[in-house]
Amino acid sequence: MEAAMQDPAIRITGMNKFYGQFHALQDIDLKVERGEKIVICGPSGSGKSTLIRCINRLEEHQSGTIEVMGTSLDDNVDHIDEIRREAGMVFQNFNLFPHMSVLDNCTLAPVLVRKTPRAEAEETAMRYLERVKIPEQAHKFPGELSGGQQQRVAIARALCMNPEIMLFDEPTSALDPEMISEVLEVMVGLAKEGMTMVCVTHEMGFARQVADRVIFMADGRIVEEAPPENFFNNPQNERTKTFIGQVMGH
Amino acid sequence: MSVPSPAEISRQPFPKLLKDRYFATRIDTIVTVTFGLLTLWLLWSFFEWAVLHAYVDPEDRDACVQSEGACWAVITARWRIVLFGLYPFEEQWRSALACLAIVLTTILSCLPSFWTALRLSLLWIVGFAAFYILMRGGILGLAPVSERDWGGLALTLFIFAAVVLIGMPLSIVFALLRRSNLPWISRTMGLVIDTIRSLPLLTIMFAFAVVIPFATPDWMNGQQLYRVIVGYAIFFACYQAEIIRGGIQSLPAGQEEAAKALGLGYWQRVGYIILPQAFRNALPPTINQVVITFKETSLVTIIGFFDILASGRAASGTGEWSFATIEVYVFVAFIFFVFVFSLSRYGAYLERRLGVGTR
Ligand SMILES: Nc1ncnc2c1ncn2[C@@H]1O[C@H](COP(=O)(O)OP(=O)(O)OP(=O)(O)O)[C@@H](O)[C@H]1O
Ligand SMILES: [Mg+2]
Repeated sequence: MEAAMQDPAIRITGMNKFYGQFHALQDIDLKVERGEKIVICGPSGSGKSTLIRCINRLEEHQSGTIEVMGTSLDDNVDHIDEIRREAGMVFQNFNLFPHMSVLDNCTLAPVLVRKTPRAEAEETAMRYLERVKIPEQAHKFPGELSGGQQQRVAIARALCMNPEIMLFDEPTSALDPEMISEVLEVMVGLAKEGMTMVCVTHEMGFARQVADRVIFMADGRIVEEAPPENFFNNPQNERTKTFIGQVMGH
Repeated sequence: MSVPSPAEISRQPFPKLLKDRYFATRIDTIVTVTFGLLTLWLLWSFFEWAVLHAYVDPEDRDACVQSEGACWAVITARWRIVLFGLYPFEEQWRSALACLAIVLTTILSCLPSFWTALRLSLLWIVGFAAFYILMRGGILGLAPVSERDWGGLALTLFIFAAVVLIGMPLSIVFALLRRSNLPWISRTMGLVIDTIRSLPLLTIMFAFAVVIPFATPDWMNGQQLYRVIVGYAIFFACYQAEIIRGGIQSLPAGQEEAAKALGLGYWQRVGYIILPQAFRNALPPTINQVVITFKETSLVTIIGFFDILASGRAASGTGEWSFATIEVYVFVAFIFFVFVFSLSRYGAYLERRLGVGTR
């Protein structure tokens, strides 16, 4: 256990991912310390989603190693389960379960996976729903909420599993502009409390405010990796420069 | 000229409403009048046949033969054959109670308060046990009656309920195997499903009733009735499996991914996320399949079972009543209608009820 305390949150070494013949991720090396906040950006199709989906085995990598909280991600089902319990994920399209109330969305996994007693799970769920500022929606169905509210429920649902790491895949990209800030606000709050976060996002303001490191990907590779000040003010790679120009341009 | 919306129309006074809906233009008027008259004429003819010129009392048999009207006398005289088939006359109250047991069980299991796996299974075990004890007898001082002598409505209901009850879980298993990640499992299942679906139901029933006993050891055979039910249930399951698979495929991939990301295992994902939504998506075709299954139970006549259609034919099969086949068929059709129509209405209710969460 003592050794485990020193393990980084995520350690990826020499990882490759293929979709059939297509080499989607090439020689990825990435280490995320506990409590660190990483923002991943890059052009469309560069492999950002694929990378964070490999971390909890929504996609399978073909070579190299991935370790999450000291557990190595291999074909051992127990390891996969353990990693999924430790890593919460928030999707672009929310992916709430439409046939369950907001509260049931939040208690399902704790009750089924962590075997938390229902009453306790509901208490926890209400606490997190309060934190994302929608306790009054607990008994509604997802379809009755706005996009921003749904995404906040999705964050609360992931937090209810009490994860060590939160993975975000473009959490604000499907939202109307006026709802983006309410979701970002929740994410900033989470960052301040010391959550380990890996966020794929194009919200550069968010990156500047909370990221410890910004990672730029292109064509399945990590092209540049730097703290936000350096990344935005002094990018090294040509592609990074073009990309920053585009994102900042408007 | 502005067209009033349906909501506006329905708030208007009745004569105006009538005019707007049915007599708005000259063409509307012609269509309304023509079809109105045609409908009235049809209804009147049926009323004349079924009520005005009809005879109900079996004593009036001879008058019946001459008359233009319906001869309901055949039903009054022979309804017990229609409803109970060859079941021993003195024991037919048992068959009636058995029908009631199945109908009651079905109604109860349609109530949302029974929708837990435990309650539903208990309910149906009790329901089928009651049916079986009543029909088969041999205990509790009830005279034994062989399955060969079961008939009429009780047989139809029993076959239907058993087929759906065995077929539904089986169809879920088939659908999941069909979607397996292991190609050899999903391909084999696909082949089995497609093969069975491409055979006529009659062939399947015939195979299970007549052919299988030659191929398998005696202890496996059981009563012919149960073999037919198993065959029919497999047939049902193959169609229903494809319906469920369609329901599963219409779910966004994100649903299963979100469940995986939360750490839910395969069976938890299937039981809590995939199937509830797949069933809701697949509800209309499922109701359709169940209705067809009810109606096609009458195919068992061909292998010699006395379901309600066959016993209806038997009721008008004697020389005395042979002129009254139409009345018997109308009566049987009415019974089918009551059951099938209730099923459809229940389906519509379910769709409305389950639709709530989607909005
Ligand atoms: N299931 C799949 N099968 C085949 N190719 C895929 C699959 N998923 C992604 N790809 C390919 O892998 C590459 C990386 O995709 P990915 O979704 O990771 O990009 P991304 O950086 O997240 O892009 P975006 O910003 O548009 O979300 C793309 O070229 C994509 O076409
Ligand atoms: Mg993406």
